Amino acid sequence: MANIEYVEIYGVKWSKWAAVLSRRFDFIVAPILFLAVVAAFHLHFMLLAGDWDFWVDWKDRQWWVTLTPIVAITFPAALHYVFWEKLRLPIGATFAVVCLIFGIWITRIFAFNIWSYFPYSMVWPAMLIPGAILLDVVLLLTGNFFLTAIFGGIGFALLFYPSNYPMLAAYHLPVEVMGTVASVADYIGYAFTRTATPEYLRMIERGTLRTFGGHSAWVASAFSAFVCSLTYIAWWYFGMFMTKVITVPNKVKHLLGMPGTAPVAEARPGLAAS
Amino acid sequence: MSGLPAEIKTSTHHGMTHMRYAFVRFERWCQALAAVLLLSICGPALAHGERNQEPFLRFRTAHFFDMKWNTTKLAVNGDLIVTGKFRLFEDWPTSLPKPDVAFLGNGTPGPVLARVESYINGVPAMLSSELVLDRDYEFKTVMKGRLPGRHHVHPMINARGAGPLLGPGNWVEITGDAKDFKLPVTTIDGTKIDNLETWGVSTVFSWHALWFAAALVFMLWWLRKPLLMTRYRAVDEGKEHLLVTKGDRIWGTAFLVGTLVLVIGGANWAESKYPRTVPLQAGQSRVEPLPMDNRSVRVKVVRASYDVPGRSMKIKVEIKNEGTSPVRVGEFLTANLRFVNKGLPAAVAGVDSLFPKDLVPPSGLKLDNDLPIAPGETRVVLLDATDAAWELERLTAMINDPDNRVGGLIFFYDAEGKRQISNVSGPILPVFTKPI
Repeated sequence: MANIEYVEIYGVKWSKWAAVLSRRFDFIVAPILFLAVVAAFHLHFMLLAGDWDFWVDWKDRQWWVTLTPIVAITFPAALHYVFWEKLRLPIGATFAVVCLIFGIWITRIFAFNIWSYFPYSMVWPAMLIPGAILLDVVLLLTGNFFLTAIFGGIGFALLFYPSNYPMLAAYHLPVEVMGTVASVADYIGYAFTRTATPEYLRMIERGTLRTFGGHSAWVASAFSAFVCSLTYIAWWYFGMFMTKVITVPNKVKHLLGMPGTAPVAEARPGLAAS
Repeated sequence: MSGLPAEIKTSTHHGMTHMRYAFVRFERWCQALAAVLLLSICGPALAHGERNQEPFLRFRTAHFFDMKWNTTKLAVNGDLIVTGKFRLFEDWPTSLPKPDVAFLGNGTPGPVLARVESYINGVPAMLSSELVLDRDYEFKTVMKGRLPGRHHVHPMINARGAGPLLGPGNWVEITGDAKDFKLPVTTIDGTKIDNLETWGVSTVFSWHALWFAAALVFMLWWLRKPLLMTRYRAVDEGKEHLLVTKGDRIWGTAFLVGTLVLVIGGANWAESKYPRTVPLQAGQSRVEPLPMDNRSVRVKVVRASYDVPGRSMKIKVEIKNEGTSPVRVGEFLTANLRFVNKGLPAAVAGVDSLFPKDLVPPSGLKLDNDLPIAPGETRVVLLDATDAAWELERLTAMINDPDNRVGGLIFFYDAEGKRQISNVSGPILPVFTKPI
């Protein structure tokens, strides 16, 4: 038998060949995982954040700021469980958000711009990476999912508006249109027609936060932060659930009298007893 | 195969027998032909499914009239001005909400034109407004050509809960190069924007590129090391303390500080660059309807039928002239179709030269008695609107409507060409065998 060379990786002994194979496995699995998260997270985000993220004249100080972080913290939380609990890898949130924004840009370029003629000034996507980095670093430093939910969840929501403001501010300059005031974003939404989306369908701030001295965005961010903390916990457990392998005894075959199938009591004695 | 000559059975072509090779070639030709056929029948969507709207929507909601297009051919950046009036029908379907919140839109295949102005009764129509049933409104929409091509352009009223209600569509041809399009605007604080299509886009791209790069650097710190199976085994064997080092934590902390500095710095930069901003505007405008017109001719449906095989609508109406001058029936308008009485020059002159011809059936409107109806007279008249347009516009689907009523406008003209418009609506009977 030939001499086997061993290497130690993270305190675990590996044969050199197995170590090489494991690295090859990394390179095979990583792109697959990337595409899977792109597809799943993008679909989820399109369905739940939808128009608020699609259009510049939906990016308001109330709904967009409230909903986007809540919807966007879901996959990062689930991947946090998987990446941290199984691999001690604190990049779940950044990875998820990079996948999401990558997928969004593909649709903005091909579906919105090339296929449907909407200009990029109207359909640019929101930026979520700073909040995701914060979420990852809080998990890295605390190593605790509950503290990450509290501080990371709050930070994820609070960073959303200032992260996007450098891009958004130019679209909130005031213009005079037909003798009335409008923001540049309003006028872009008006000029480049969405045939089946009349103005009244926009769910945007309509003055209901006026009692907070006009600081709608920060009030909305604070509420979003609270919900983000709860959402993070829920989706952490969802990530836990999704990584469990659960089997149930096939009672149907037994009930149909198929030969070779054990009754429940034999297959899962604990279940039958309970 | 046994009956084939030996050379066919044995000779080969690229390692295949001639028979097999011929079959493969035939299969490839079939595939190519199928692809060409598929491509030839898959054209772009040209119109907006207006013919798919249920007939009751088109008969009894918004009736557009006096429609005018300033042109049907324009260059990129050229103006297309669509004007006209609409009446929100008195016999509005009970299944639809009233137009308490309505918006003047334009039905185009996406933003092939840029809408720069729109008005209802002179009031800017950038926001939605409340409209009133059985009243008339005048509208104007100004658009700029953006994408070259032949586009179907409709005026449209969107009513909340009732959806889009399309006016007549006209084919408009835009020539030139899409790259020449510009939509400039000057903000209230004097900032000149060359083109709204590209405004702010370079800033968006720059920030996205910057954050993508930051995210990749952040992740590469971890991805450069052995990743999945090795880390999993280490966690499994209780060696997780070796997976996250002090250096990793310092790196993470430094990255977080850098992120916060960049976010706060970026927001402050934007705040100082654009100190005067406004939130999205989301009010509702107030539009008064046009003054009530003189409606001195009353119309009541006695019996209406639609002959399915004959493509003929016949409406027996009782017309009562309560005005002071004799009037004649000039036009029956419903679902954007204009059945014009060709024996009445004033009615014929009412059709604009650029109005889409496919919506003006050549057979026109026939009447069993076209003599003027004297003031105070009540007369029963049979209106005959027969044309294949009922079928082409897919209005024959009315027989499947649970709310089987027809509605439209009748235009009356006096001897001086003065017009008044009456509503007509009532139940309609399908005829499957012969006309009444």
